[in-house]
Amino acid sequence: MASRELISYDKGVAVKVLKWASPIFLTFYLVWSLLPLFIMLVASLKDLLDAFSVPKPGDWAGVTIFFDFSPTLTHYVALFTENGFGTYLFNSLVASIGSAVIAVTFGSMCAYSLSRSEFRGKKDLLFWIISTRMAPIVAVIVPLYAIFRSVDLVGTLPGLILAFTTFNLPFAIWMLKGFFDGVPYAIEEAAQVDGQNRFQAFVTILPLVAPGIGAFVILCILFAWNDFLFATIIGSGGAKTLPAATKELVQPQNIDWGKIMAAGIVTTAPMIPLGLLVRRYLVAGLTMGAVKE
Amino acid sequence: MVAVSFNNVWKDYGGGAIAVKDLNMEIKDGEFVSLLGPSGCGKSTSLRMLAGLEHISSGEIVFGDKVVNDLPPKDRDIAMVFENYALYPHKTIFDNIANPLKQSKVAAAEIERRVTEAAKLLEIDQLLERRPQELSGGQKQRTAIGRAIVRQPQVFLFDEPIAHLDAKLRARMRGELKHLQFTLGVTTIYVTHDQLEALTMADRIAVMNDGVLQQFGTPQEVYDNPANSWVATFVGEPQMSLMEMQVTSLEGETALAFGSYTIEVDPKNSARLRAAGKKDLLVGVRPDKATVSLDESLGSIRGEVYSRQLLGADVLVEVEIGKSRVRAKANTSFAGTVGTPCYLNFGSEDLYFFDAKDGQVIPQ
Repeated sequence: MASRELISYDKGVAVKVLKWASPIFLTFYLVWSLLPLFIMLVASLKDLLDAFSVPKPGDWAGVTIFFDFSPTLTHYVALFTENGFGTYLFNSLVASIGSAVIAVTFGSMCAYSLSRSEFRGKKDLLFWIISTRMAPIVAVIVPLYAIFRSVDLVGTLPGLILAFTTFNLPFAIWMLKGFFDGVPYAIEEAAQVDGQNRFQAFVTILPLVAPGIGAFVILCILFAWNDFLFATIIGSGGAKTLPAATKELVQPQNIDWGKIMAAGIVTTAPMIPLGLLVRRYLVAGLTMGAVKE
Repeated sequence: MVAVSFNNVWKDYGGGAIAVKDLNMEIKDGEFVSLLGPSGCGKSTSLRMLAGLEHISSGEIVFGDKVVNDLPPKDRDIAMVFENYALYPHKTIFDNIANPLKQSKVAAAEIERRVTEAAKLLEIDQLLERRPQELSGGQKQRTAIGRAIVRQPQVFLFDEPIAHLDAKLRARMRGELKHLQFTLGVTTIYVTHDQLEALTMADRIAVMNDGVLQQFGTPQEVYDNPANSWVATFVGEPQMSLMEMQVTSLEGETALAFGSYTIEVDPKNSARLRAAGKKDLLVGVRPDKATVSLDESLGSIRGEVYSRQLLGADVLVEVEIGKSRVRAKANTSFAGTVGTPCYLNFGSEDLYFFDAKDGQVIPQ
């Protein structure tokens, strides 16, 4: 194993400046990214009057007014009773998990075949697969809508799952192919000699790519969960998801800030633990096979 | 247990890469055959075709009286040990060894009994709960062998199974594998690039080069009567030296011209050379049949020491004579160093004769 000792050399002025600048930058960045979340959380717990009470300009002592409120859950209750967010939450969960499961199931089989077989045009096929991901969704949304409408998939959960799968599947194929490439072919050959057929051999090596598969199930869920375009256009009507439903809280005559903030929290909260989970998995997955053992 | 034969087997990877050319070989039931050759000679490809891991371009492979060309590996009833062991990293040693039995739906109690038995035989019975990454190279290799022997297959296929072990362990495993094969009596095909492994273990050796079977015979035959100059130099350590000589005559007798020297030939070999009627020869001599000395003697050939390598009990001296280099074993007291003039001696009855054009042996 290589030495872990840190070697330090004489540092120039730039390095010294950086040393001081980086904590400042990080602090700024932290506030920048966490403050909106914090405001969202606090605002979702305030009634409308409290939410819009701000101190006079220049009155820094008046900042406490932000925290001077009695917490209320009325917005959350209203979301689920008046606006039917229970259904939307359910739609979001089904659509994102469904598309993730489909994408990873088919993606792993496709990635395995692409990893193990050699044929003419393989590179072109691979490029074509990823190119479907490169095109902006806006470019294809109109024809896709026409197709989905003609087969009565608009506004249905299966339709939305299918729509999410269009962008999740190519991604899963590409990333999982990398994981399969890292598994020595000899292991499957041994499995075949042991008396397994090709598909059983594939199943035998699945545990070896489990970290990768786990990571991509989560990533696909995140992508689908956060999607707005497909959700508003393909899912509109019968299969509204959380982001699309939140958007509808903005009405021309009335913007219901309290509910919007609460909806934001409802949408964000389930994804935070998943994000933390994927970080662990991805690191394990992406470095798998990086060093020859 | 079954006889195995290759009938006119070709393997063409396309683009001019032909790995195996017209291979014909009959392996008897219960025989231990070694496929020997340098890397890229087609020996592993031949083995993989036997296993069903590669398609056969043309010809047929027969197990007993059944053509297996189109049978997938799982239906061939073979067991294979891979060069890199190919263990299942996520399974315990027990499950690794038990896998073939599980596939053929053997009862759990029977699996337990047979795995334990195989593990005892290979002395890995205390490791059954571990996983492959916790094992040393030798233990991994035993596990791979255990996976092969736990089921009584028709044919054992070994693809350089001990190539990655250290020298000491390799020597021990050679003996153990040979013993195992003898006890089980299963037809075995063993691929190796190490001629010592082939010589020590195999009943018969198939020497391959460049996709072509060069010679198929017992180790003694291959060593004593190599079919051509390539086999002669590949088998045997230290390597046989080859010298370019011409057939000539000396006072009416057949003799060999080597540079400015004329070498007398014993009656048996001179009859042989006369019968063949070739002029340009490659003449081989094994290092232990040649002697080197600092003093001139009758019939000795003058050269210079090119290198000197200690082998332990003796030294290997490479002698440069014109454009040939001849290796000879000498006593450790041999005082010559690089550049020292020296004298080489060998008897004509110890020489090997090959046609200089195609390298084929001059018939006896």
